[in-house]
Amino acid sequence: MIGDTPPWRLLAPDERSRYWRSQWRLGVPGLSVLLLIFLMTAPLLVPVPVFPHLALLGVFVWASFQPGLMPPWLAFALGLVADLAFAQPLGLDGTLFALAAATARLAGARQGQPSGLFDWRLAIFLVLGFELGAWALMDLAGRSVPLLPLAWQLLTTIAAYPLVVAFCAVLQRRSFGRGLVR
Amino acid sequence: MDWTPGTRRSSAIRREQNLALIGAVVTGAVIATGLILLLFARVNPTGASRLRGVMLDLLTPVWSVVRAPFDGVGRAIDAGSDYIGAVDRAERLAAELAAARAEIQRAAADRLALAQLRRIAAVREPGRRLIVTTRIVSATAGSVARTALVGAGARNGVTTNLPVIGADGLIGRTVEAGNWSARVLLLTDPASRIPVTIVRTGQAALVVGVNGPRLELRDRVGADLPLRVGDRLLTSGDGGVFPPGLPVGTIVSAAEPAQVRPAATPVGAAYVRIEAAWLPLPEAAVAAVPESTTPVPTEALRSGARPRPVLPPAAPIR
Repeated sequence: MIGDTPPWRLLAPDERSRYWRSQWRLGVPGLSVLLLIFLMTAPLLVPVPVFPHLALLGVFVWASFQPGLMPPWLAFALGLVADLAFAQPLGLDGTLFALAAATARLAGARQGQPSGLFDWRLAIFLVLGFELGAWALMDLAGRSVPLLPLAWQLLTTIAAYPLVVAFCAVLQRRSFGRGLVR
Repeated sequence: MDWTPGTRRSSAIRREQNLALIGAVVTGAVIATGLILLLFARVNPTGASRLRGVMLDLLTPVWSVVRAPFDGVGRAIDAGSDYIGAVDRAERLAAELAAARAEIQRAAADRLALAQLRRIAAVREPGRRLIVTTRIVSATAGSVARTALVGAGARNGVTTNLPVIGADGLIGRTVEAGNWSARVLLLTDPASRIPVTIVRTGQAALVVGVNGPRLELRDRVGADLPLRVGDRLLTSGDGGVFPPGLPVGTIVSAAEPAQVRPAATPVGAAYVRIEAAWLPLPEAAVAAVPESTTPVPTEALRSGARPRPVLPPAAPIR
């Protein structure tokens, strides 16, 4: 819940409706990741997976900025949407997004406030783990893919990290200010 | 006797610890669910097809609108460059036309001879049937799967396992169909298997995607006969999905496994043709064919392709 609100019973009807209207921002992290998933289906027809995995970065960044609004179960649901959008076996991105969110929360709990360099190093580790995980889980789903072409996406995703951080930071500032939402 | 009570956790700390425990349990549960879903996908690769169709119908119209202004700019640039290079292109086309006319005359004679031979041998050959011509709207460049979305779906007669053909050759086959859009598995996807014939040697083989710009030639019948760089590959019609004779690619490296450059690349492939499956069989006939004796590769069967029926013996030549 954002800010301090009096008990529900004490709110006037217009205050209640104002309260509900103010809750839209709780959906900002999820909606922004959905937008990034949509961007990843751009009509860029290339034979190698060269497009950065913006949605994974979005999940990671929001799990660092607002851990309360990007829990692993939400990351899992967003991953299922990504699986449907990208024609992947159902559960591939779901599992990996949930793991990414859990890793980011764990690292945030140990590290404290997000710091640029540490987060970028963690993101590199996470993207590397994601590509290896995708390769292994595709094998589990019975659709083996070669590992080497995934290196393209690894490089572009690492390069795109500052852009996604900047995008999410703008949304964070406009929606939540500097505070955490629990 | 002095006794001090043990340290008691405050209610706030207890609440935090309980929440952390619940969070860990939920995280473990969703990860386990994901792994179970993947195992389901292994057993049933075409699962959740309705959900996938809905997703296609959501994505495709939005991209159709988003890309419209870019298409307009691209057309304007094309028109400008066409105007500038018109004279050079006219001269080149005139030279090509002269060569093509001679080729057409030879081909007409060959076609006549072939038609006579087919009549004599009473060859029954199904024809190709165009279902719809549509355009590629979207793609999955950021995924491990190499697919594209086209702007025609079940309402246009598009189903799964139909050949998708570009101006220069085969693009792929449909794997999902929504109401107004469908997903095409491109040749470069690792799940793609195309039965081909090598034009020079007549050997049968499979062209397999490897998630890269090249394809690989595998399972070649008669591998002792060496390949040559420049050998052309056409669809063989085996498996019943792709009609025979469609350009698939050219050998660019004969070292095993041979590397193939695709004939048609979907990059910039504005419009594609979706045709009916070359030789779909009625379900009853499929059920009657024992799987172990079919000449269709296992991968093709898994992807839904059907074996050719046994044709009745040809009429005796008089």
